[in-house]
Amino acid sequence: MVAPAVAHAAIWIAVPVLATLVLSFTDYRVFAAPRWIGFGNYVEIWHDQVFRKATWNTVVYTFFTVPFSMGIAVVVAVLLNQKLRLRTAYRAAFFLPQVTATVAIAMVWLRIYNPQFGPLNGVLSFFGVPGRAWLADPDWALWSVIVVGVWQGIGLKMLIYLAALQNVDENLYEAAAIDGASPVRQFFAITLPMLKPATFFVFVVSIIGAFQVFDLVYVLTDGGPANATTMMTYEVYRSAFQDFRMGMACAQSVVLFAFLLFLTIVNRRLTRSDEK
Amino acid sequence: MTATAPAIRARPAPTAAQARRRRLLVRVGLHLLLALGAVTMIVPFVWMLLTSVKSPAELASFPPTFWPDEWVWSNYSGAMQAAPFATYFRNSLIIATGHTLITLLFGSLAGYALARIPFRGRELLFLGFIAMLMIPTYTKIVPQFLIVRFMPLSGGNDLFGQGGSGWLNTWWALLIPGGLSPFAIFLFRQFYLSLPRELEEAARIDGLGELRIWAQIYTPLIKPAVATVALLTFQESWNNFLWPLLVTTRDELRVIQVGLAVFQQQENTAWHHLMAGTTLATVPMVLLFLLAQRYFIQGFTQAGIK
Repeated sequence: MVAPAVAHAAIWIAVPVLATLVLSFTDYRVFAAPRWIGFGNYVEIWHDQVFRKATWNTVVYTFFTVPFSMGIAVVVAVLLNQKLRLRTAYRAAFFLPQVTATVAIAMVWLRIYNPQFGPLNGVLSFFGVPGRAWLADPDWALWSVIVVGVWQGIGLKMLIYLAALQNVDENLYEAAAIDGASPVRQFFAITLPMLKPATFFVFVVSIIGAFQVFDLVYVLTDGGPANATTMMTYEVYRSAFQDFRMGMACAQSVVLFAFLLFLTIVNRRLTRSDEK
Repeated sequence: MTATAPAIRARPAPTAAQARRRRLLVRVGLHLLLALGAVTMIVPFVWMLLTSVKSPAELASFPPTFWPDEWVWSNYSGAMQAAPFATYFRNSLIIATGHTLITLLFGSLAGYALARIPFRGRELLFLGFIAMLMIPTYTKIVPQFLIVRFMPLSGGNDLFGQGGSGWLNTWWALLIPGGLSPFAIFLFRQFYLSLPRELEEAARIDGLGELRIWAQIYTPLIKPAVATVALLTFQESWNNFLWPLLVTTRDELRVIQVGLAVFQQQENTAWHHLMAGTTLATVPMVLLFLLAQRYFIQGFTQAGIK
């Protein structure tokens, strides 16, 4: 009964992962057989200014979108974690960007950021602030992408926090209230510490997600202007499907994987030492 | 600050009326805050809808209008003529449905076996699936593409995968590789594990085979779970972009997300058509989500907590 699933996973996951590792040591351009070049691709990656830029952008994107959307998500979750009229409606609103396609969402933001006709510049001009070409300006493009990433990322994190809040003991709040602790103080003294395991979990999952941002960049900026928003995933895509350098693309994806592995392990270490 | 000082000093007890007024104020503030957030989340979607029914002339004015001067519903039929959005839509529907059916059948079979049938190496196999669950898309996508490209004996390829284009630009490429995820198997296993053991023991004593126990006894008991996995799979498949982008180059096989991106690159000034297409790509998921919110929330929470 499990055989079809095992066969499927073997062909489409296990073999590809191993192949990625092996091919990363080759020069392979699809129409000629792979040629073993040892660490050639990795050496090239190390000196590749564009890939460095992509790595930096990925790190910046991740470490801005993840904490910001987590911060908003935890506040929203706490506010929603009580008997409240319209509670389901609010929750649905925050979750909506999570269930809709990133490509479609990016199209809408493309219009919002449009320098000539977009509503963002429209609103700014109403307040007398000059608009700008958000996605075409090298200084602003990455931040504009990050804003969309934060906006889209809140929903899922909020949901996980909401689930975690179910396990926080109500008595703690009652005791704190009797001691005269304000709601804000209760939030920092009880809620946040109790949510620590959930926070670590959300952090890891979100980082893994954010590191693989692709659709958003593909539609919004195509990696530009002047590589200002290119990401590691985007470089893998370019190497493999625009330059047809499959070996190089594999090596780049191994580097991406190494980053994720490193971050996950560091995080697990931190969680462990925290529990002791 | 009074909040940080130990609360030894007794505060004057507020009168009942004061307390009620305070509570009311807090409530109002809470709702204002949440409403502001909710509006921020929804406004882009409203904007998309309103933009999709504005005339090109109105869309080329600055500052932009919020409410359309006139509602140009013909933008939708216009979009369908400008690009085969109807075909894209149909393709997305076929593939999302196909993925869902494949996942439900093989995912539940595998999940059942991993949860309920003791066999040698079961734990190891399960660990294997967990490991594969952690593999990021980009660590496998290049070889996946190569396997599709060099699929033997298809698309003009010989036994060694040479000479043709393999599964590229075929339904196979769209349906099979993404058809089953370790994640669905994992979820199914957890659901089957949560059921009592006595059922299967009774069934086995009655001489029922595993297939019948799976089909007639256990699976009917996890119907909500089946709905959850189905919705998550459908949503994931409908929204998927990268894989269909890689394996299709012909309009007849393009899914709506890819069709949308291609249309945007070719006609990047036809905003009225683009937003109509975007609405088509978005509305099915929004409706599905609003109709089955409970299952979505459950699914994503389970997916999140593991």
